[in-house]
Amino acid sequence: MEPAPESPKPETPPSPRRPLALFHELLSAPLAPVERARSGESSAPLVLLAGGLVGFALYGAAAGFFQGGTQVAIAAWKAPAIALLSLLLCLPSLYVFGALAGARWTPKTFVAVAAGLLATLGLLLAGLLPIGWLFSSSSRYLGMVTWIHVLLWLVALGLAFRFLGGALRALGARGGTFLWLALFALVSFQVATLLRPVLYSKPKEPLLRLGEKKSFFEHLGDAFKVELEEPKPAKPSPPRSPSPNPREAHPPG
Amino acid sequence: MPEPGIHQLLRHGGEPLLDEILAGRGLGRTAARLALAMTLGAALYGAVFGSWHGARLALYVAIKFPLVLFATTALTLLFSWIAARLLGLPLRLAQAAVLTLLALTVASLVLAALTPVAGLFVFCSPPPGPEARTAHNALYLMHTFLVGTAGFAGTRALRRALGRLAAPRGSIRAAYALWVFAFALTGGEVAWAFRPFVGSVYAPVAFLRERPLDGNVYEFVFTDILPHLAERLDKAMMD
Repeated sequence: MEPAPESPKPETPPSPRRPLALFHELLSAPLAPVERARSGESSAPLVLLAGGLVGFALYGAAAGFFQGGTQVAIAAWKAPAIALLSLLLCLPSLYVFGALAGARWTPKTFVAVAAGLLATLGLLLAGLLPIGWLFSSSSRYLGMVTWIHVLLWLVALGLAFRFLGGALRALGARGGTFLWLALFALVSFQVATLLRPVLYSKPKEPLLRLGEKKSFFEHLGDAFKVELEEPKPAKPSPPRSPSPNPREAHPPG
Repeated sequence: MPEPGIHQLLRHGGEPLLDEILAGRGLGRTAARLALAMTLGAALYGAVFGSWHGARLALYVAIKFPLVLFATTALTLLFSWIAARLLGLPLRLAQAAVLTLLALTVASLVLAALTPVAGLFVFCSPPPGPEARTAHNALYLMHTFLVGTAGFAGTRALRRALGRLAAPRGSIRAAYALWVFAFALTGGEVAWAFRPFVGSVYAPVAFLRERPLDGNVYEFVFTDILPHLAERLDKAMMD
């Protein structure tokens, strides 16, 4: 890695002492941890990582309400696991893409950017938690709720784009953010497929199915074909063909 | 200086009120007054919304319609605020809440103004019953259109308010789009959970359905409405 950039160092705000203050700082001055890292100070990456993972765990628990019961706990640990594994797999490409785009990395700035990104995503998912919970609790079809979560994840990634772009620019990079974030999104979908089942487990289904290979394209499509073993109350049996009975197709007021 | 009144939302583009909100002055008092105005406006329209099935559903919907708006606000507020902050908009959580209420109040005032129009169509519709399905659907579409129009007017007020913030135009546009997206996505589902509003032509009048959180509105569109329309279209083509 190259030495720290020679560009004039910015005025760095003092590091907040409490974790909550650190996360509030992510909202008011998102690049502050990166600026501190540029100045050679600590960006408190472990606190950022831990807080971000808590956000993922809470969102995962909310998503687990689609099936409820033990699936809440299962999704609560799988969501942060998906985030962490995706980030770890994409760290080399973040370094190389960033460097090619002109970012002058130091070990501290690299760690600060990675931890800040995960913390930002965790924070966003905590904000999306009530919406995720509402759709998880009410949806009948695995395919529908899966795509709602995909949509919300893409919204979170879109907002995280701003943090990552700003951080890379502060380190001297020009471009590269979108490409890397798109790669990260694809990897996260595949890791979620690898760590399946996340939202719904059939009875006696193993906690992980690492031996069964499947692409996320196939998995997202297959979600529509899954028939729930224990249908949700009043579920009108699996997705049906157009009903000739007008009463069935009638909006319920 | 006298406090800017809620009526100023309809005059001068609500500028004095926006100044107060964006300066962070008297947020609690402003929120309470906006919430009251929103409740009254939405309840008035709600009473007409549910009146096709008689006084009982009219009363239920007058209570439920403001609740839908409050529940959607509660579910989306945290995300809206976090998104705005990450986009660089200098807003406190309380200001985000008051701005959301401001948009909903404008929408509710527009709906209240449309009450006579909606009332006329409800009054002219045949009474509910299995044979009145077309009337039900027409009322459903009319209310959806009017609520959508009022919602659009509300979001324009929000856009105007956000436009006064010291932030890049692109960030303001993105924040506005995200707020509207989150509210529309969640509001549709909250309204679904609080159904019935017009009242089914088959099911009896009730405050809520037996299992309000069973199913989501988008599933309903994809598994019932669209297949039904496709089937009708197929039949029409065959004929």
